[in-house]
Amino acid sequence: MKIKNNKYIDWFLTKPKTTGFIIFLILIVGVAFTIFQRIQIIRENEHRAMRSTLENLHQNIDQSLKNCYTTTLTLALTINDNGTPENFDSISAQLIASNNSISAVQLVPNGIIKYIYPLKGNESALNLNLFNTPSVKYEALKSIANKKMYFAGPLVLKQGGIGIVGRLPVYKKNKFWGFSAVVIKFQDLLRISGIKSIDTTKYYFQFSKRNPNTQKEDFFLPIQKDVYKNEQISTIIPDGNWKLYLIAKKQIYYYSDLYIPSILGFISALLLGVFVTILLNKPKQLQQLVSIQEKMIFDNEIKFKTIFDRAPVGIALVDANTGGFLEINSKFCELIGYSEEEMKTKDYQSITHPKDLLSNELVATELQEGKISEYKLKKRYITKFGKIIWTNLIVTSLSKANKKLNTNISIVEDITLQHQILEDLKKNEKQFKSLFKSSPIPLWEVDLSLVKNYLRDLNLINKSSIKVTSYFEQNPEVVRKCFSLVKITAVNYKCLQLLNITTKNELIANLEQVLHTDTLNDFIKQLIAIIENDNQLAYDTKIINSNGEAIDIHFTWNVIKGHEKTFERVIISTEDITSRKRHEKLIIDSRKKVESLINTIDGIVWECDIETFTFTFVSKKVEQILGYTSEEWINEPDFWKNHIHPEDRDWALEYCSLKTKELSNHDFEYRMICKSGAVIWLRDMVNINFRNGKAVSLEGIMIDITKSKNIENELSNSFNLVSKQNERLLNFSYIISHNLRSHTSNIASIISLIKASENEQEKRQLMELLISVSDLLNETMVHLNEVINIRTNIGLATEQLNLKDFADNATKIFSKQLLSEEVVIRNLIPQKTTIIYNPAYLESILYNIISNAIKYSHPDRKTIITLKWLKGKDKNILQISDNGIGIDLVKNGNKIFGLYKTFTNAPNSKGVGLFITKNQIEAMGGTITVESESNEGTTFKIEIL
Amino acid sequence: MSLKTIWVIDDDPIYQIIVSKIISKSELFLSFSSFENGKIAIDTLKKMLDKNEVLPNIILLDINMPIMDGWEFMDEMVLLKSKINNPIQIYIVSSSIALEDKNKAKEYPEIIAYLSKPITTNDLILIAASN
Repeated sequence: MKIKNNKYIDWFLTKPKTTGFIIFLILIVGVAFTIFQRIQIIRENEHRAMRSTLENLHQNIDQSLKNCYTTTLTLALTINDNGTPENFDSISAQLIASNNSISAVQLVPNGIIKYIYPLKGNESALNLNLFNTPSVKYEALKSIANKKMYFAGPLVLKQGGIGIVGRLPVYKKNKFWGFSAVVIKFQDLLRISGIKSIDTTKYYFQFSKRNPNTQKEDFFLPIQKDVYKNEQISTIIPDGNWKLYLIAKKQIYYYSDLYIPSILGFISALLLGVFVTILLNKPKQLQQLVSIQEKMIFDNEIKFKTIFDRAPVGIALVDANTGGFLEINSKFCELIGYSEEEMKTKDYQSITHPKDLLSNELVATELQEGKISEYKLKKRYITKFGKIIWTNLIVTSLSKANKKLNTNISIVEDITLQHQILEDLKKNEKQFKSLFKSSPIPLWEVDLSLVKNYLRDLNLINKSSIKVTSYFEQNPEVVRKCFSLVKITAVNYKCLQLLNITTKNELIANLEQVLHTDTLNDFIKQLIAIIENDNQLAYDTKIINSNGEAIDIHFTWNVIKGHEKTFERVIISTEDITSRKRHEKLIIDSRKKVESLINTIDGIVWECDIETFTFTFVSKKVEQILGYTSEEWINEPDFWKNHIHPEDRDWALEYCSLKTKELSNHDFEYRMICKSGAVIWLRDMVNINFRNGKAVSLEGIMIDITKSKNIENELSNSFNLVSKQNERLLNFSYIISHNLRSHTSNIASIISLIKASENEQEKRQLMELLISVSDLLNETMVHLNEVINIRTNIGLATEQLNLKDFADNATKIFSKQLLSEEVVIRNLIPQKTTIIYNPAYLESILYNIISNAIKYSHPDRKTIITLKWLKGKDKNILQISDNGIGIDLVKNGNKIFGLYKTFTNAPNSKGVGLFITKNQIEAMGGTITVESESNEGTTFKIEIL
Repeated sequence: MSLKTIWVIDDDPIYQIIVSKIISKSELFLSFSSFENGKIAIDTLKKMLDKNEVLPNIILLDINMPIMDGWEFMDEMVLLKSKINNPIQIYIVSSSIALEDKNKAKEYPEIIAYLSKPITTNDLILIAASN
């Protein structure tokens, strides 16, 4: 329970703002309640006062009305039994005098005002019949009904002004006589009531009556606007049916007393709230401060822990007395290889390399004795796995800061790698030295830093090499000076041997001596290299040994890494290349020999790349053979391809590529175009050149074979001629055998028939047949003889002939046909055409062709034969065409000029003419061709040389 | 063995006379007809086919003839082959001794043999016997 309370309290304590606000709320409620109470009391008091005032007014009016009643009653008593008033005026006067509220009295018998006192001023009301006057009739009747006195009005009086009329009904002998009435001015009524004494600053007074005629409440005093409807009290006067109101004015001053306490209450509540808030805030802020600091401490601790754990160096707390590890970070553990737990059971002595232990303990003792506050040591540890690691150790004593703590802090950095590198470096340097010493090449190590400084002083660094070169050439003394500044650091044995000098010092003393005139010029190259910061240089030069002999050397010059800027360490090698030079010369000489030898070969010797066919060598002979120089050939990448004869190019390239791909040596013949445009035949013999088993190039020789090729062509032509002749002869022999055989076989058959014949008549018949066969055989023999004559006439006599005239003459033989107008011959040969021909042959040719044309003329049309002379470029043609029946050349083309070939059943066709014609034309060296279309005509073209 | 009809196609009139004599003397054949060239022979053959007449059994054919030679006749025969019910035995009888003619004759399966002129009674007997 208590805890629970504490919890609530804590809740409030931890929320000062809320708590402050709650307290403020509670207080403000209290203040508000008190103020409200006060207001209630003030109101009640006010009410009471109003009530008493109103009561007072009521009583006053009541009193006055009672007096009026007395007056009317007294007045009624003046009425005698006859119903006539006695001494009205005098009594009335007394009554009015005794009652100062009354302004007049009346007697109204039967409702008609008959008597009025004082009459003066009230004359107008005399003889007014109440019952006939609607405005007063109701109230008059009301008093009769009540049988009591009743005050009518306030109403507008006949005689003027506002007044009330109190009427007492008078009965005489139980019979209504009339009214006894008093008239009170309304102002008088108010005066009597004491209304004037009312504190008008506080209240209003109001007088109302329900209008008997309209039933509406009529107010008779001016209506104020600033009224509180609620703050009013009223009372009713039944005698006149009036209502009196007392209405409180809008009264702010009521509460003016409360303003100050309210404000004070609010302020104090506020202050108290704020105060509580502030009061409660204090511990909270303190709490926050504490937590921030706690966190900072925690962070620092983590930081320290992190540094300790994650540090890239090993950190350990070590007992200063025993050397045991108290705290150790993971890096340290990692270095040594043991786990943290294992390490805590060990001391530094147990993991230190024995060789370093003594020196370590020595300084450790000094530290413990306070002679020193810390020590640094480069030492080795032995790891769990027996590996030795090199470390930088820093040990600081903590005992100075805290006397009680007898501990040291050790920081260990692994430098095994650095150590290794250093060792390697040493080893490298050593190796370098031994290499340098025992190198088979003469080596120098020189220091050129002085040279560089000197060049810098001369302001030559970074100048253009052309300028510098000319400067050095003009100032050889500067070069000499530079050379003297070369400092020789070391030379190897081979170098001394080369120079034939015994010691380095001797060399240094006589350095100038090694300089050859060339060497000095080459030294300028070195100077330029220095100027341009080149770290490598190589060239061939000469050096002079102590015997004064010039030696060819290959000079190389390398700046050792790390000295590129200063040129402090430069390695120079001066390789003896005397023998190499000698060999080179030998090679060049032999190459020259080979080349001159190649150039004497009667053919183009060449070499080209196996992939691209780019020529790398073409012997000088090319100029003789093709007209192009070897430079022209080599400089044009596709020279070879471009200069092969277009007809040979494709196949030659294809063939060459194919053979090259097969890696087989090849040999082919093709034509090339010379510079002069002439075509020459080349035989190209190609060999594949292998280097280390790989085909690298093609080499070969192109031989001009144009002459032999021409001879070959001629041979081939004559061979063709001979074969043709031979063929013709064979053909001829077939023809002869065929033509003769047909006759001989007939003869054989007839003879066998004759032998077998049984009667003479038959024999005679067969004999006749035999005779005709014999005649035919004879005829055939004549034809064949003729053909053979043509063929054997080699040296045929020729003469100049006018073709047109000759043709005209030749056609005269057909004059019979020409005359009968069956045939027309058009000789269109130009007049002056002359040819050299054998006239007999020409006549025979013309006769045969024209007679053929007539023989095979078309039956439906007139035969027209046309002779034309066609002059061609290198051959002339005699053309003879007709419009005859034509020959189906598709069927008969190859036979048309054969012997005994006929294509029609014409009785006179023998098949000899064209055969002879053809032979004659060919004997004259020409040819004959035919063009024909069936039913259209035939055209023969005779070539005449 | 019934006698057969035989045709001779040759442009040589003397040969025609000789052959007709030999054939008639041999008495080996029922009838004998001669034609001047291949064209006349093939036209006759076509007409007979149209009229559904009995075709010759044997033809002796020369090679060199005007208008239509022996080879052209053979080409026409090949075209007609499907219409002919009883195959006609064709013999080339030529004075040509050219090898190319002999070889060409072998290209036609319809040609039974190549005979060189002169033709003898013995040849006819063999021809008649082989049919």
